[in-house]
Order: sequence, then structure tokens, then C-alpha cells
Amino acid sequence: MIAALTTPYVAWWALVPLITFAVAGFLLLTVASLVRRLPAVLAPAWTAVAGLGVLLYLVPMWSRVGRDGADSFLAGTVGVDRSSIFVTGILAVAVIAAALISRDYLPREDLPGVELYVLLLMSAAGGVVMASANDLIVLFLGLEILSIAVYVLAALHLRRIESQEAALKYFLLGAFSSAFLLYGIALVYGATGSTNMVRISAFLAQNVLVDDAMLLAGLGLLLVGLGFKVAVVPFHAWTPDVYQGAPTPVVAWMAAGVKAAGFAALMRVFVLTLGTYVSDWRPAFQVIAAATVLAGAVVAVVQTDVKRMLAYSSIVHAGFILVGLQAATDRGNSSVLAYLAVYAFLTVGSFAVVTVVSGTGDASHGLDAYRGMGRRHPALAGVFTVLLLGQAGIPFTGGFVVKLGVLAAAVDGGAYWLAGVAMLAAAVAAFVYLRLLVAMYLEEVPSGTETSGAVPLGALVVAVASAVIVLVVGLVPGPLLDLARDAVPVLVAG
Amino acid sequence: MSTPAIFAAVTGFDPLTGGEFLVAQNIAFAIMAITMLVSAVRMVTTGNVVHAALYLVIVLAGAAGIFILLGAEFVGVTQVLVYIGAIVVLFLFGIMLTKGSFGADDGVGGERRGIAAMVGALVLAVMAAALLDTFRDAELSRAEPSLTADVADLIFSRYIVPFEAISVLLLAALIGAIVVARGD
Amino acid sequence: MYLNQFLLLSAALFAIGVYGVLARRNGVLVLMSIELILNAVNINLVAFAAFGNQLAGEVFALFVIAVAAAEVGVGLAMILLLYRNRKSIDLTQIDLMRG
Repeated sequence: MIAALTTPYVAWWALVPLITFAVAGFLLLTVASLVRRLPAVLAPAWTAVAGLGVLLYLVPMWSRVGRDGADSFLAGTVGVDRSSIFVTGILAVAVIAAALISRDYLPREDLPGVELYVLLLMSAAGGVVMASANDLIVLFLGLEILSIAVYVLAALHLRRIESQEAALKYFLLGAFSSAFLLYGIALVYGATGSTNMVRISAFLAQNVLVDDAMLLAGLGLLLVGLGFKVAVVPFHAWTPDVYQGAPTPVVAWMAAGVKAAGFAALMRVFVLTLGTYVSDWRPAFQVIAAATVLAGAVVAVVQTDVKRMLAYSSIVHAGFILVGLQAATDRGNSSVLAYLAVYAFLTVGSFAVVTVVSGTGDASHGLDAYRGMGRRHPALAGVFTVLLLGQAGIPFTGGFVVKLGVLAAAVDGGAYWLAGVAMLAAAVAAFVYLRLLVAMYLEEVPSGTETSGAVPLGALVVAVASAVIVLVVGLVPGPLLDLARDAVPVLVAG
Repeated sequence: MSTPAIFAAVTGFDPLTGGEFLVAQNIAFAIMAITMLVSAVRMVTTGNVVHAALYLVIVLAGAAGIFILLGAEFVGVTQVLVYIGAIVVLFLFGIMLTKGSFGADDGVGGERRGIAAMVGALVLAVMAAALLDTFRDAELSRAEPSLTADVADLIFSRYIVPFEAISVLLLAALIGAIVVARGD
Repeated sequence: MYLNQFLLLSAALFAIGVYGVLARRNGVLVLMSIELILNAVNINLVAFAAFGNQLAGEVFALFVIAVAAAEVGVGLAMILLLYRNRKSIDLTQIDLMRG
């Protein structure tokens, strides 16, 4: 006798971004396997359109959530609030950018196939799942979809052995960290009796655990697992190697998209779900944040490979985001979201330029390749200058605005020493970007370098658009900060 | 937690109140647990990769037994089918296709092993302390084995999203494995 | 049966897996050690499910098994790719990139 199954309520309108990414990937795969000679421009265009469609759809979704409040559905496993919409927007932007950069990258490297776009769309779907998960199981599976797709993306340059090495390294460390995360989830489940974030936070708010050692161990393992994904010290060792080895458009997606999804997950798990334990995890977050900004900045200075340099600078950025996150306040959360948004533009723009400069073979990433760029490619050098200044956090760029935001959130919470350390690190890191600028404008073109031809359109569009947005946010920060302030993450019971 | 209780928790035997709980289950647990631990240690220390895979089979089979002991029969059967039936076979293929590395795992620096052992011991100590502190003498209630139908109901109602997510995950893994292994 | 006897078994497997990941140089063996950790997780989940008389842990364990299968598939494909090009899957030889 089979009993009728009660089907849970589904808010389809809130699932549209997720379904769009996933279905766009499936369709692209199907069409590519049926049609023999697909026009090369179709796949990137299709991916970018999917991203754009999601981005446009988020506008009515945003106002609907603002009107009706955050919602939770499918038996409370998935939630939708403005912070998840915000992060989905960042992911969509990163997808569009990565697709545009790849448009010229794949033919240049003679890498056929649409798999990059399919996997890109799928990992974006995984990221959306992470950003809107209300259950630790769902969060973990979203993370796995995202990660598995990115492991493969990192290996996609099949003729560069560095790409394969980087991918294997990333995969093994990533799988290791996923296992830690899982163990942490299992311990939290054992301590609280549920994997649902709403129920966990309700349980912890109502019960005072006398023996909470296991929960604390679980917290620690969760931090290790998610810390790997967002690359904070001491779980950052893979970052420079993977950034250096992986195909540059993939690095753009890893730096912008994966990091955004990872921090969204950290925020949901620690600030929202385990907020009652903030006094236990905050010290750990503060120490990690301080170590991350300092170590990242100091090591970045001695790098000679620009991709490694940017990898360490992305570690510094991760530390800054953590500075905002540890505040565990609404202000801290909105500063984190604003930082993620601006950081996404900074990093996709920078890696778009790196893709162009690296030349055929994706190999010239030394400082040499950038010497004299101010003369050879004035436009590209100008755009790169804006992006680097933004990364350094120079006033009148978006980087300055958001850095100020996380520092203010930290000071608000009384973490003066952390804010001080972060500022010191920012000053050290500025030297890195300065070195690149000096190479571009003040040093001669090394003899024997062939002047590369026209700049491919896709990468140029991404770089210019990012630079413009970074400048606009720097000059008129109001709109972005308002959006980030409204994007309060909340957990709603289903 | 008293010494006899720790002894009981580790071995599954309780010398003081041995009659209180099921002796047969505890004997089964003790046998499986010891076999699993020995095999796991051999797996990470043996120099022969094929042997390591076979030790892994023993650990996985032991875990399946543990699941059945805990009343999770469906998980136990899935463990046998998917883990031992599919994943281990995959590992054996992987080992055969990378034949050059047969047994070639010696020469690991003693220093690296020492660090690894230290980390492992630290993890174990922290976890054991946390667990003993949290659950002390908590006993498992002797409930009926869970019904597969109930598991299915739960998957297709409350956990339908993760179920669908798994399908996307497997598809991504499939595409990924093909892309990577196909080569040029 | 105590809950702790299962959890301690799981903790021991976890620790052995961590040792394996850190100490072994063969990529396949590292992957196997990760499987050991995932099994430890599953024992934990099922034990908690039995302890709390609820099924969520069992369902989660099933999902973990599926994830493990996916990870092994991708991981072995990558190891094979590297082996084809390097004739070695010794992880200490992955050293093309240095800072």
C-alpha cells in the first residue's frame, strides 16, 4: 500500500535563476552534440544571454521580495531573500564576463568545444544553490556542483601541463576540504538534531548546550571547509598555483564567482545559522582575517608572475571581506556584499586584461609582458590602471568605497586592532599594484617582444565595462551601498 | 565518563552492566570496528596500491555492516552497491591505467610522515575529547530498522531539492570526466 | 550500544584518512584516503540518525555516497590525464609552478 505523498510548496518564481542556468547548460550541451558545426560565437553568446536574462529577471524578483518579504519553500530547504538575489546577481555578472573573455580565448588557444560554457553555467547553478540554501545538505550539494565543475574547468587547457597540475592540486585539496566540511555538517547535525539552518538557529537560541564541545568542533571543521573555498590563510596554499595554471577566463570565474558563492555560504552558515555562537567563532575569524590580509600582502610583493600576484591579491581581498564578516552585524553583512560586488568587477576586468596580454599559449604572465604596455596599448593600459588602482583601494574608485565599508563595520564592532592591521596590509598591497603600474608606464619595452595585434572584443568589453563601473561606484557610491544595505540576509522558516 | 564506560564505548563491551544491552550486537560491532581500523591503517601505510584498494574494500564493507547494525539497511545496501560495486572498481581501473605507479609509493620522507601522523593524532584527540564530553554515556535506543519506503518518502518530499541537485552534480561530473579523459 | 562507540570509530577513520591524505604521494591513494573520510562522515550521520530516531541523517548519507561517486569519477579522470602526460602520478612531482 503506497500512501499518497504530500508534495511541498514550490515558489517557482524564486527558482527561475537557478533553473535558467541549469537548463541553459543542458540545452547548450544537447544542441552542441546534435549539430555538427556550431558557429563558434553561439556558445559564448548563449551563455552571456543566459546570464543577462538572469540579471534582468532579478530586478522584478528583488522588488517582489522587498514587497512580500523573504520566503522559504520546498519544505524549508531553499530560501529566497535579498542577499541571495544580490549574490545571484554577482554570479550572473561573473558568468557573462567569463563567457565574453572565453569567446576569443578558446579559438586563440585552439581549444574546441562548448564544454567550458556548459560547465560554467552548471557551476553558476551550483553557486545559486549555495547562495539560497536554507539547509546544510543543500548548501553542501550546491558547493559540490560548483566545485566539481570548476575542477574540470581548471584542467580545460588540455595542452598546458600546468593547467592539469593545477586542476589536480585544486581537486585533491578541494575534495579534502569538502570532506572536512561534511564532517563539520555531520557534527552540527548531531549536536542540534537537524540540518535545516532555521531549525538549527532556533534550537541554539532556545537551548543552552552544556556540553557543546562537539558543536564547536563542528564549527571549526565548517570553517576549515569553507575557508578552503574562499582561500583564506592558512587554507590558501592552492590559490597561487591554481590561478597560475588554470586557463585565465576560468580564473576570472573562480576569483569572482566562486568567492562570492563561498562568502555567501560563510555568511549564511556562521552569521545567520550559528549567530548565537558568535562569541566563539569571532576570535577565530579575526585571527584568520588578520593573518590573511598580512600574509597575502607580504607574499604578493615578492611575486614576479602577474597571475600569482593577482592570486595573492585575491587572498588579501578575501581577508578584507572576512574583516567585514566577523562583525556579524547588518552593517557588516552589507559591507561584505558590497565588497563582493565591486571585487567581482575588479577581478574579472583584471583577468580580462591578463588574458589579452598573456598571448597565445596563455603563457606570458611575467612582468616583462607588461613592460611598456602604456605605449603599446594605451587604452588597455589605461583600463588596467583603473582596475589596479581600484584593487589597491585608491580614493575615487569602487575599491576605496567598499574597503572603507568593511573597515567601518569592524570598527563598529570594536575590532580596532583588526581594522588597523587591515589598513597596514592595504598599504603594503598597494605596492604590488604600483610595481605593475611602474612596469607598464615607466619601463621600456624589452627588445624581442613582438607587439601583439588588436585587442579581442570580448575581453575589451569586459575590461572597459568593469573599469567604468569601478569608477562610477567610486564617484557615486550611493546606489550600490543602498542595494547592499537592503540586501539583508535572513532565514525564514518554511 | 568513568573508565569502564570509556572501555565500553571503545570496545562495545561493558564489564559492569554487560547484561544491560545486546551482547551480540556489541560483539559484531567490536569485530567490525577492529577489522575496519586495522584495514584503514594498512590502507594508508601499505606500499602496494592494489593492496590499498583491497583494504579499502574491507573498510567499506565494514561500514556497510555498521549501517545495518544501526538499522539503516537501505544505506548499507547502497554502500555495497555503489561504493564497493562501482567506486572501488573505478579505483582499480585507475590503478591499472596508471600502471607505472604500481607499488611506487615508498620513499616518502620520514619528516612528512611524522607531520601527517601528528596532525592525524591531533585530530583524533580533539574529536575524541569533544565526543566523550558531549555524549558521555548516551545509549542508542533499540528502535526498529528504518523502512526504505520512509527514506524514499523523505527524499521525494523534504529533500527533493538535494535529490535534483545530485542529478545536476552527476551530470556535471560526467561531462567533466569525459572532457578531461578524452584529451586531445 | 553506546552512541559514542560509533562516533569514536568514525573519528578514528577520519584521523586515519587525514593521515593518508597528508602522507601519501600517489594521487590514487590520496583519493582513497578522502573516501575514508567520507565514510567516517557517513557513519556519523547514520549513528546520529539512529540516535535521534529520525531519517534525515540516512538520507544525507545517501547523498554523500552519490557525491563520493561523482568526485572519484572526476578525480580519476584528472589523474589519468596527468599520468598520460607525465608518466607519473607522484604528487611531489607536481612542481612546475613555483612562486
